[in-house]
Amino acid sequence: MASEAEVRSFGSPRRAAARPLVGFLAGLLRSPSGCLGLVIVGLLIVAAAAAPLIAPYDPLRMGAGPRLQPPSLAYLMGTDDFGRDVFSRIVYGARLTLQIGVIAVGISLTVGLLLGLVAGYGSRWVERILMRLVDVLFSFTEIVIALACLAIFGIGLTNAMIAIGIASIPFYARVTHSVVLVEKNKPYFEAAVSAGAGHLRLIFLHLLPNVVPTLIVVGTLGVSTAVLAAAGLSFLGLGAQPPQPEWGFMLSSSRDLISRAPWMMIFPGLAIAVTVLGFNLLGDGIRELLDPRQRQR
Amino acid sequence: MLRFIIQRLIAAAVTIWITTIAVTLLIHAVPGDPVRIMYAKFQSTPEQIEAIRTSLGLDQPIHLQYLSYLGRLFQGDLGRSIVGDQPVLDVLLTRFPPTLALASASLVIAIVIGMSLGFFAAYRRGTASDAIAMVTAIVGVSMPHFWLGLLLLFFFSLQLQWLPVAGNDWRSLILPALTLGLANAAVLARLTRSAMIDIFDQDFVRTANAKGLPKSLVLYRHALRSGLVPIVSMMGLQFAYMMGGAIVVENVFAWNGVGRLAIEAVFARDYPLIQGFILFFASVVVIVSVIIDVLYAVLDPRIRYG
Repeated sequence: MASEAEVRSFGSPRRAAARPLVGFLAGLLRSPSGCLGLVIVGLLIVAAAAAPLIAPYDPLRMGAGPRLQPPSLAYLMGTDDFGRDVFSRIVYGARLTLQIGVIAVGISLTVGLLLGLVAGYGSRWVERILMRLVDVLFSFTEIVIALACLAIFGIGLTNAMIAIGIASIPFYARVTHSVVLVEKNKPYFEAAVSAGAGHLRLIFLHLLPNVVPTLIVVGTLGVSTAVLAAAGLSFLGLGAQPPQPEWGFMLSSSRDLISRAPWMMIFPGLAIAVTVLGFNLLGDGIRELLDPRQRQR
Repeated sequence: MLRFIIQRLIAAAVTIWITTIAVTLLIHAVPGDPVRIMYAKFQSTPEQIEAIRTSLGLDQPIHLQYLSYLGRLFQGDLGRSIVGDQPVLDVLLTRFPPTLALASASLVIAIVIGMSLGFFAAYRRGTASDAIAMVTAIVGVSMPHFWLGLLLLFFFSLQLQWLPVAGNDWRSLILPALTLGLANAAVLARLTRSAMIDIFDQDFVRTANAKGLPKSLVLYRHALRSGLVPIVSMMGLQFAYMMGGAIVVENVFAWNGVGRLAIEAVFARDYPLIQGFILFFASVVVIVSVIIDVLYAVLDPRIRYG
């Protein structure tokens, strides 16, 4: 996940946002890391959207092939202990992974954005109390907040997504807060204040549009953290439940068979690592594009 | 300096105090009846359920519950666990040393490998070695702890049979510590590289070089000392991540620490144990970050004399 220092060094996010999307994508394709990230994330989206066309077998059908078959032309990534095709399960798993990323980041982004705006714009006391609370949540670490949420709601993939979303709120609140503090001191904002703009107008028409571009970048990097966290919770048995083709859960069910069927452990892990790498590279690429200082390095 | 330490101690105390409120509220956030959920597998009669509710103090108004929780806390009483019916503090204290050993060993591995890699990459900035080091680091950052752990287990324990699959002696500590250490080394390498690049660009390093000081003196005495400041400031967060990562890694290697205990508690819905764990975990992280902040002040004279 991006550190605050990295986030603050984005320079002016507006400059990039003002560019047409095509130019932005072209810039991204010019940087090797951004290009690779875009390709990986693109492949993930294609796999999720076209899963029924790509996957040769039903991901849930037991006995689609013989049990514990090593990778072959018929079963590209082998079969698991129920005779299910590992490749088909991984392709369908892309759907769950994208869903987790979007829902978890959606929750933390929305709530974090609101809290950060209120803390940055509100009175000194509101700011102190909110940011102190955020500091406290930071010392819990995300996994402990997620565990606490799961202890409250009960285990399961949906609850895990919500738990991860809640666990990352402090991070997004902090980032938004630091961007708001910078924007508040810029001439355009002071001009709007002296022109007599109301609170709602100041927050939603002046601050919000300038905070959103930065948060898009942070959110892209956040997807990788969310995917990793959800896979971790499923691995621990707290997230996805059988027979869901979730990658973390697939890894956890491979544990007892590692020596007999290592492919059951290698491919789901590879899928998680490549996806997370894709979002990390994409985030790095976007950051380079927004901050020319980084590009010279 | 003293003022700085006192300020940090007050902030730490406030954090722990808010945590006590949060864990008290936790059990009330549970949808439905927490006592019934906790004792679902024991097939208790309604009378027994009510008796348990009274013994846990859950029949009292929430502010009284909080005050009595706080009162017991000051006597070192964190309640009794549902599973095994043992004092929560005793359970946590028995399971903490393995976690501390794991986190410390991993921190050493992360610092040695991560900082050397980052320092080396910054020093050879723009070369192929820099690129290789940074590609390694981003792959490391993206690698799930639990997968890295399983891969190490597969190669070193099952294929080569050099190390045990699980256990609680020092040989069993090697793989979990390596897993957690390598994952965090990658994060530290990226941090170190960017901090050192900022330092290498500064005037005082150029001046030291221009004065004709030996290269090693400039690197280690001038650059590294200043570069350590921002790195140490991130170390508190690093330690918190390390403790969080330990929860997952302990479960991969069946390492009997508090992380494994926490997962068992969530499965069993053992709320007194979960509450105790959260409070304990947050306190450890807060205390360590105070220590790190003081260390940071010692390194950076601007804070020491500020």
